[in-house]
Amino acid sequence: MNAKKLFKYTAALILTIIMVSSAPAFAQKKQQKSPGGYHGELDFPISWNRYYAYAEWTKIMHDIQKHYPQLADIQSIGKSRMGRDQYLITITAKSTGKHTEKTAMWVDGAVHGNEVNGITCSLYIMWYLLTRYDYDPYVHDLVNNCTFYILPGLNVDANASFVEHPNTPNNPREPFRPEDNDGDGLYDEDRTEDVDGDGELSIMYKEDSKGDYKLSANKRRFIQVEDPDEDVQRFRRISDEGFDNDGDGMINEDDIGGPDPNRNYPSGWNLQAGNPYTMSEPETRNAYTFMLEHPNIFASFHYHNTGRLIMFSRPPTQEQRMTDEQRRRSEEMFDQYLEELRKANKYAQAFNIQVKPEYQEDMRAQTEIVTMGARIMKNYRPTPSGGMGQAQASSYDMLGNYAYLIELWGSPAFDADENDDGRVSDEELLKWIDVELTGEGWVEPHKVDHPDLGEIWIGGTRKKHISRTPPARYIEQEALKNALFVLYCASQFPKVEIKDVIVRPASENLYWVEVTVRNDRIYPTASDRAKLLKRVDKDRISLKTSGNVSMIDVPKGSATIDPADPGAEAEVITKEGTEFWLKGKQTLRFCTLVKMDESQGWVEFHVKSQHGGIDTKKVNLKIGKE
Amino acid sequence: MKSNSTLFLRLAIMLISLGLIIHTPLHSAQKVPISFDEYHGYISTVKYLKAVAQAYPNITKLLEIGKSTMGRPIYVLVISNMKTGTTIDAHVELRNMRKEGVKNVNPMMPYQGKPGQWICGATHGNEFTGTEVCLYTIDKLVSGYDSESEIKRLIDGKTFYICPIVNSDGVHNSVDKGIPQRQNSMLKDDDKDGRVNEDGWDDLDGDGRILQFRYKDPKGQYIVDEEDPRLMTRLRRDEKTDKQRYAVIMEDKDNDGDGKRGEDSERGIDINRNFPEGWFQPDGFAGGQGDYATSSPEARAIAEFLTNHTNVLMAQNYHTSGGFTYRPLGTAPHPNLHPKDVAVFDFIMGKKYLELIGEEVPEAWQSPDDLEKSKEEIKKTSKNKYAIQRGYELPRGWRVSYNEEQDRRYNYGMATDWMYMQYGIYSLTTELWNPRKDIPDFPEQEGDDDYIKVQRELLKYQDEKYGGKLFVTWKKFKHPELGEGEIGGWLPNYRNNAWPGDPLRKVCETHWQFELFRAGLLPDILITDIKTKVLYTTNSAKEAKAIQRGDQITIEKGQSKGKYKVVEVTVKVENQGKLATHVARGAQLPGNREDVIWLIGDLDKTTYLLNTPFQKMGVLEGTMKIPGYKGQGMPPAASEPRRQRRFFFPPGYPMPWMGRQQREPTKVDQKGPSRTVTWVVAVEGDTPLKIVTTSQKGGTKMKQVSID
Repeated sequence: MNAKKLFKYTAALILTIIMVSSAPAFAQKKQQKSPGGYHGELDFPISWNRYYAYAEWTKIMHDIQKHYPQLADIQSIGKSRMGRDQYLITITAKSTGKHTEKTAMWVDGAVHGNEVNGITCSLYIMWYLLTRYDYDPYVHDLVNNCTFYILPGLNVDANASFVEHPNTPNNPREPFRPEDNDGDGLYDEDRTEDVDGDGELSIMYKEDSKGDYKLSANKRRFIQVEDPDEDVQRFRRISDEGFDNDGDGMINEDDIGGPDPNRNYPSGWNLQAGNPYTMSEPETRNAYTFMLEHPNIFASFHYHNTGRLIMFSRPPTQEQRMTDEQRRRSEEMFDQYLEELRKANKYAQAFNIQVKPEYQEDMRAQTEIVTMGARIMKNYRPTPSGGMGQAQASSYDMLGNYAYLIELWGSPAFDADENDDGRVSDEELLKWIDVELTGEGWVEPHKVDHPDLGEIWIGGTRKKHISRTPPARYIEQEALKNALFVLYCASQFPKVEIKDVIVRPASENLYWVEVTVRNDRIYPTASDRAKLLKRVDKDRISLKTSGNVSMIDVPKGSATIDPADPGAEAEVITKEGTEFWLKGKQTLRFCTLVKMDESQGWVEFHVKSQHGGIDTKKVNLKIGKE
Repeated sequence: MKSNSTLFLRLAIMLISLGLIIHTPLHSAQKVPISFDEYHGYISTVKYLKAVAQAYPNITKLLEIGKSTMGRPIYVLVISNMKTGTTIDAHVELRNMRKEGVKNVNPMMPYQGKPGQWICGATHGNEFTGTEVCLYTIDKLVSGYDSESEIKRLIDGKTFYICPIVNSDGVHNSVDKGIPQRQNSMLKDDDKDGRVNEDGWDDLDGDGRILQFRYKDPKGQYIVDEEDPRLMTRLRRDEKTDKQRYAVIMEDKDNDGDGKRGEDSERGIDINRNFPEGWFQPDGFAGGQGDYATSSPEARAIAEFLTNHTNVLMAQNYHTSGGFTYRPLGTAPHPNLHPKDVAVFDFIMGKKYLELIGEEVPEAWQSPDDLEKSKEEIKKTSKNKYAIQRGYELPRGWRVSYNEEQDRRYNYGMATDWMYMQYGIYSLTTELWNPRKDIPDFPEQEGDDDYIKVQRELLKYQDEKYGGKLFVTWKKFKHPELGEGEIGGWLPNYRNNAWPGDPLRKVCETHWQFELFRAGLLPDILITDIKTKVLYTTNSAKEAKAIQRGDQITIEKGQSKGKYKVVEVTVKVENQGKLATHVARGAQLPGNREDVIWLIGDLDKTTYLLNTPFQKMGVLEGTMKIPGYKGQGMPPAASEPRRQRRFFFPPGYPMPWMGRQQREPTKVDQKGPSRTVTWVVAVEGDTPLKIVTTSQKGGTKMKQVSID
């Protein structure tokens, strides 16, 4: 076929393209009159300057769902050991489809009872999505296109106890399965108690001339005695506040609760940490069962305290046998590489781990996502994590989801570090409590009479709500940036789109029709892990034609359509349709050879991806002059 | 007179025999009759269990430990004297409890304070011989309580947990409905057509049974047996034949019009691949079945039960068939077991088992303390490196499921491995039923094709002794999709289960004897001696406080308290049972604990001067010398040890568990089966004191202390 003829037929062919778009145009329902941001929050105001009791935050969930019935549904996914419901809210715009038909984001908080910051962050995401839907185009698109499953409090018994009763910052952490921690045959028999009835749990000390502790100069802290000859009132540290309930001479040695719930999940489960058995706790089992039953979940967030970490689920790594010298050089090279990256972007991320070759795409996607996470969250550090029966490890290893464990909050250095050494000393901490928290947050040492121990001192510790979790006035700022990161990830859920359709005549009535399919998001249409687990169907392109247009059977392979553009390889679509995988930020080309009888007809392409959605494009062909 | 004395003699004999009939009935106290002429199935088993629980309320209790997918309860019958036994929580008074008042701990049942034995059957729904053995065991125990002293002793001092049917749905379908089902039931759309469980096996000819359908097929894998045309023999993979080939399938048709038969039945997963030991493959993908270990309601029920009843030290999981017993492990090789446990399993339990089933005990076991010679012998001939390590090959009747010759695991997630490795239980899986041994007078078969010869003999036997009822003669039938063929074959329940009547009774008796033997090995903790010695008395003690300032100490005397004694209490505790209170490493397992002893008194009137209120005693050994065990520890691993992934704690991360600076409980550093434990306490007046020794699997005992 010579160029002249080709030109002739090209000129003779007229084609029309009808765009079939899949997303509704944004119709901003409410106009903003005053500047400075969207004010949807006034439609359903929530105060973020406190921690809520179980009855309060579950009421908030129910009330907000009633306020936005077209965007949300609420259900109990099961009951905790002591009979509390675990409420989950499903957020998506019902007008654009059912929640099961859209790619979904899972968020859970407070699997550890005392890490209640996760409850407020989860509630904040819920509130942000619902109140801004009518105002904010970004949120509008997300809620139209994705589903959000939000379970603010997972370990609800321990959460309720932590907030509503006197507690140390560290307890209760586990669900309330009885456990014999001290091997005396009794279960959960010696718990912490509020000895002096002041509503706080602190540490007990006893005056003891041989003790290791003394009061600080300002009498507000107990510090270790460094000079053994120092002549000062000394104290012996006893334990957390409590009584010897079982009379065995020890205090608080068998507190409530059993296994660590974040070691109870299947992946990497071991008896030592996850006992008694995999998924033994109703609270974790209910949550995991929900994830199993909703295969449209694509990514998951799990909130914890403390440490300002973005722990992303790490794909399986390769064994690297290196000598010490090789290891040292490799670390040196890596540090140099990271330094170079950070010259352009101080939030750039790279990880010196070698994943197995079949997981390259997952590692790439995670690195890009957490780079943006570091940028959004500013002072959080991304780090790979996995195994050990953790929820985010199972979400990835067993279900193929991109999963993140967020350790919220950390040291208050940004506010408290006066001498700029990057740390908060004990005295800086006290000053921060006095100034930023206006004095609320410290248990001052004081004398108390203890029935078993006689005269003791209690105090010198932070109150429970300012330690692992942010003090109330910092709740919202922490929640906002975490919500933005979750939303960012949802905005990067894969989306397959048909970009271009080009027709090139091959001969008299034979035409090559070439289509470009792209996913311009960071996440691929399926994670490497999900593919290996066989939990995802392949992406698929197929086409329909008008009766007078028929596909020519061309053997499978790739065709170079345009001899002038040798890089433009396209895969042939077969009659049954062609399967493929679309990675993140990838474009693929497909082509088909059709024959058209008569002078006009059409060809319609249909792309379907389990997580990337669907797209169609119809092309009208007409022979004649334009 | 001669005639008078004869008459008197005859009268006497009559009266005596009358008396014997009245006072020694055949079944002395069997209040619920049971026969083994038919399989019980789920419905009859539940009926029997409820009847037994009602008839013997003093020594039994029926527990529901869970529900199957289709809602059928899973039952455990507890057999133990409900009036004996005690637990530690009944004796320790708790004070000043947290005002929050969370009630998450249930009081323990007295029978949890005795050593426990678990026996279950029918984890696989079509393997219900074990159910029959469990019911037989229950009958023997409850009927024998009043008449046999050994049984009375066991029921008074130990606890039996018997679960005749683990897989309720499987047994119900297999026996009550005649549709064999090894797996549990699941509501799952296996063929993704939107319908659930719409295409299983079918009773094509409406005779109320699921049999087999055979039809001529040039690619079929079966031929008709030349001797007994009722039998179908399977060809080896590449075997050629000029006989007519047949295909044989279960009675089944395409119920949902998708071109496939039986692709979406009620069958779910194999419960014995759903336990948490060795469930994952080394590369982190699932090896066992189900979405995760204990995802099935049945496995979860057992896991929850064993977690809450930690007094179990022996376990038996009945399966069929084969006529042998697996002891741990199947998921890992020999070096993963402690040599002490291997010795207890093989030289004590294995030896007894082989004797009971009439199989030869390995020569090496005759002198287990001196295995060097057998090790030398084995090195010459065996390719099994683990047998060489051990010093003997495992015999046919007592083996492990781990494939030692090929050095690979048998499978994933099995119950016996899990109970041993994670709960510290001497667990076994007995594969019941070996027709060649269990059918009386069954002719011996020898030779390469003895399998087919056995099948022929079985057919003949059931012709004679069972009226031919176990095998249905092939009858012509036209299959809706496959055309002409015949329906017939073995009734599936008799293919791998002990035949009812004498064979079943024999199987039951043998294994009842074995579990009886094992129950006799259980530990038995006793407080054998309490001595008190008053060191000091005063009639008006005063409370005193010492205040120290430098070198000067001021004693402030407070209020008078009345008569006051300082007493030394010395207690001797003994394990008089045969085995120790734990398996070799059992006390270190999470959820387990070592043996402990308390001295309990009114906390306001008792002060502990020497030693803590409860003391830790380690693990009390048993009285039986363990043959072949000389105190050695774990052997060097023959395979790579499982690497533990370390969790990285970033710097500055506050560890939630701060070290306590508290007094640790006193450790009684003694070994062997007994302990001598001392306290010195100051007691006011005549306040009572008691000793409670509590061993998790050895039992709990209490004795009052009387101070002279």
